Amino acid sequence: MKELATIRFIGIRMSRDFITMILLLGVPIILITVFSIILGEVEGLSGTPIRDETVVLLVLGFQLFGGAITMNYVHQDLFAERKNRLLSLPMNTTLYGFSIMLAGIIYSILLGIILITYTTMVFDVNWGNFIWALLVITLMSSLSSIVCLVFTFSVKNFKIAERLSEVYGVGMILLAGLFFPMPDNALINMFNDYVNPLMLAYSSIDQVRSGGLSDGWLYAALLSVLILIAFGLLLLTGRRRMP
Amino acid sequence: MTIASIKGIVKRYKHQIALDYVDLDIHEGEILGLLGPNGAGKTTLIHCLMGIIPFDKGVIQLFGQEGAVFHHENKKKMGLVTQEITVFEELTAKENLEFFAGVYGLKGEEKKQRVKEALEFVGLSSKAKQTPNKFSGGMKRRLNIACALTHRPKLLIMDEPTVGIDPQSRNHILDAVRKLKEQGTTILYTTHYMEEVQSIATRVVIVDQGQVISEGTVDELINNIQHEEKILIDVNDATMIPIDRLKSLEGVKQVQVNGSVIQIISNAGAGNLDRALSIVKETSGVVGIQAEKPNLEDVFLTLTGKQLRDGEDDPS
Repeated sequence: MKELATIRFIGIRMSRDFITMILLLGVPIILITVFSIILGEVEGLSGTPIRDETVVLLVLGFQLFGGAITMNYVHQDLFAERKNRLLSLPMNTTLYGFSIMLAGIIYSILLGIILITYTTMVFDVNWGNFIWALLVITLMSSLSSIVCLVFTFSVKNFKIAERLSEVYGVGMILLAGLFFPMPDNALINMFNDYVNPLMLAYSSIDQVRSGGLSDGWLYAALLSVLILIAFGLLLLTGRRRMP
Repeated sequence: MTIASIKGIVKRYKHQIALDYVDLDIHEGEILGLLGPNGAGKTTLIHCLMGIIPFDKGVIQLFGQEGAVFHHENKKKMGLVTQEITVFEELTAKENLEFFAGVYGLKGEEKKQRVKEALEFVGLSSKAKQTPNKFSGGMKRRLNIACALTHRPKLLIMDEPTVGIDPQSRNHILDAVRKLKEQGTTILYTTHYMEEVQSIATRVVIVDQGQVISEGTVDELINNIQHEEKILIDVNDATMIPIDRLKSLEGVKQVQVNGSVIQIISNAGAGNLDRALSIVKETSGVVGIQAEKPNLEDVFLTLTGKQLRDGEDDPS
């Protein structure tokens, strides 16, 4: 499985991609710091600090954009300048694409771990169970990478795929009501309760944090179903487009 | 022994024919220069040979096996130096080579040794720990070549490896190609710089508009088109030159006086240089002499009716 051995090099490349690092790690750290200082110890109606809710949503929100690095590397290596060289090598390009996806997911999880550690140590944010938070972060990273790859394979113009991935990230944050409160509409509520990955991930962490382990599992299971559906779409679109 | 044999390859892109029944053999140990202008079909031919793109018709035999261009075992015996620089900018030179060596199945101490050798071969040992974004264009090109060498391919395909680099790096690359040939590597070298082909190729194939229009050694190709030669003699006083005597020489087709220069067009191989010089010396001092022979550029012009690199910069 020499294709999987390339994960090491893809990981090194990602770790030296400083612009992506700034966008996926630097920006959230700045935002979290600013919001945490502003919100201080203010408590919400439920008695939990508003800061905890905001910070967890912010960290999970940035996970929605983690897939961008996966789609960029898949595009560069298999659809753009490096395509011919990699196709000339004695390796399975589908497995290589899978290695990029895996590396992207691991990279995103590592950034998530750094953010969880930072928020816990510096601002004492309550994430509940760390292992559970890690599981949810893993699900979010996987979903984001798979969805972004579906966009990459679905359209011929990569710029459009990039815009779609932004619409996915910003759209979910918007519908979750993070920019401004959403109207109390049945459709939007249903979407947030059962489909919006950001709300599913947040609800899962929140439930486990407040002792509702079974509900936490339920939301994680819904997130897993989304991953399975997206993976099915990935197989369909990938089979058509993979070189 | 034939390493690769291409028979009647046709490749179409929608309604455009990129390769039109191309036949080509690559023999073991040779440097085969594939010469043609931009858009002639050189890269398409290489991509078909490397199994990067499928072709519509024809047969490719690699290392004695028919229809084996997509087999990983054959790809392990081949190396491709792409026209574009396709190294990983975020990896160091050494890491780049380790990546490719690993994909070619090299492991452990052997991989380490081959990476070291490849870096030495292209003169980048001292830059092993630097990322290519700090390299000059020529250094990047050399790393691009090294990436195809770690597994010691039997057949190395180089697609315009010297495009856009300085003369020093270009010479370094051409020396490297000669060294590889000495080590027994068979090389398919494509370019639209005829000087490069003339200096390194043991055999040349000229392609244009998706067709092989001629092939042979450089001398053979030149002899095929060489029907006449041009002798230019610069003299002190052209008015005294006996033009009629020059015209009467066997094989001379035309004699012209342009200022102080006598231009004699003669059949190729007629051996008129000495005779013409003797006649001229009887009446005038000779300032300079020049006998022009055709080169590959002339061959290409004769065969296709167009310049080899219209609108291109000279690489030297």
